[in-house]
Amino acid sequence: MTDLAERFARYVSHQWPEATDIRVEGLSRIHGGASRETYRLQLKLRRNGVAEERPLILRRDPSGSLIETERATEYNAYRAFYGTEVPVPEPLWLEEDEQWLDRPFFVMEQVTGCESSPQVLLTTLPYSQHIERIGEQKWRILGALNKADPRELGLTEVMPAVEPDQCWEQELQKWEKVIDEDEMAPQPIGRAAIRWMRRNPPPPAQRISVVHADFRTGNFLADGEGNIRAILDWEMVHLGDAIEDLAWSISRIWCWARDDRPGGLLPRERAIAIWEEASGLRADPKALHWWELLANLKSLAIWISGGHEYATGKNHDTILGFTGWWLANSQNRAILEAMGHLK
Amino acid sequence: MKPDVDLTLQLIAASLMTEIGPKISDDYTQRNSMLTAMLLQMAAEEWDRAAARRVEENRALRRLFAEAAAETHDPGLRARLEAASREEEEGFRISELNRSNDGLRRLLIELHSHVEEVDGEAARRIEAAIWKELRISTERRAVSVAPF
Repeated sequence: MTDLAERFARYVSHQWPEATDIRVEGLSRIHGGASRETYRLQLKLRRNGVAEERPLILRRDPSGSLIETERATEYNAYRAFYGTEVPVPEPLWLEEDEQWLDRPFFVMEQVTGCESSPQVLLTTLPYSQHIERIGEQKWRILGALNKADPRELGLTEVMPAVEPDQCWEQELQKWEKVIDEDEMAPQPIGRAAIRWMRRNPPPPAQRISVVHADFRTGNFLADGEGNIRAILDWEMVHLGDAIEDLAWSISRIWCWARDDRPGGLLPRERAIAIWEEASGLRADPKALHWWELLANLKSLAIWISGGHEYATGKNHDTILGFTGWWLANSQNRAILEAMGHLK
Repeated sequence: MKPDVDLTLQLIAASLMTEIGPKISDDYTQRNSMLTAMLLQMAAEEWDRAAARRVEENRALRRLFAEAAAETHDPGLRARLEAASREEEEGFRISELNRSNDGLRRLLIELHSHVEEVDGEAARRIEAAIWKELRISTERRAVSVAPF
């Protein structure tokens, strides 16, 4: 860690040549950032004679991960939404030159005094007394995110375009390809879901939206008063059908309270109603059902991919092996439930 | 082997969770040790049932294929179903049972895909039997600490 801290301090000096007395303290890796290595650190320096102290987050590309994504896309999303009603940490630097830390990385503000773990949020005071409030904000923020005009945010220039009637096919192809490439055993349930989805495509998107694509309890920071302070983990962000985000947010696998409340927070109908009001979009039941099935298939693909990375030695991070084993069967059960075959 | 493998794994997991893990000062490493303990618990759970559930599933699939073959008109698929239904296990090592299971589940996908395109009551019966087997397959694989 000392080496990484020293190298990062040199990078800060490169970015801010006017800074002096640069020190990086308390650099430690955060658990669970399975798509990138995530570190928290305290940056101390002086600029123009004034001492500054900034808690930061460093996100560095791993050698293998649950999901392989472009860090520039994620960084651009943070930059686009910073200062809007969708709260995100302030992004500072995106660095793709490997000379600094061996792999590309980006740096953003650390939002302190908050919690993201679903287990802590749902079961531990002071967070657990604000579950309803957190839930209302969660789907209101998602609605605002999906309502935002990607062109005005400058995201149409940095993300691939997609037509409203092609959103579903783009995502289905993407995740089917992951399963094709990474499955280590046949997937009869996942394959049946794929065939059904091809035979029963959803209606076209009502409009093209920014889709966070991993919007769930666990990927936002809430403070002790029940305020959501930051939406995190934008690594799968893309342009597409906003129903994809709603479906993912209410997906069975994220029902952390082990009941039917999406995200362990609110009744499903209430979550959907809040999202509809905030987004100005309608959650068409046929479309929502299709995208919920896609959410389940996508999760299955992610667990399969993580297990493959772990088993083939690309990345031996325990979380990859754990999720592949812990969640893959649950995900197959969730697919059966969504298709009406669990009873 | 005594003590049994599953008991040994459970005890190592417990030791990691209650003795070793809490003494690790680095947060990332401590959480990794907890995940490792949970992996060991899942491995312990799998140890005792590993062969039984594979044998049970392979038998169930062969029975399903025997019934489906009689109703399948595609000659190539019918021949593959009949051949698979007559197969016996080459051995009872987990790796051998996995190889059989992979082959049988690949054939299940082919059969499922085929009957979805066929009209008639017989096709629907086979389809229902496949869904039932898929549901049971998730019960066989159930992990007690899994969320759903």
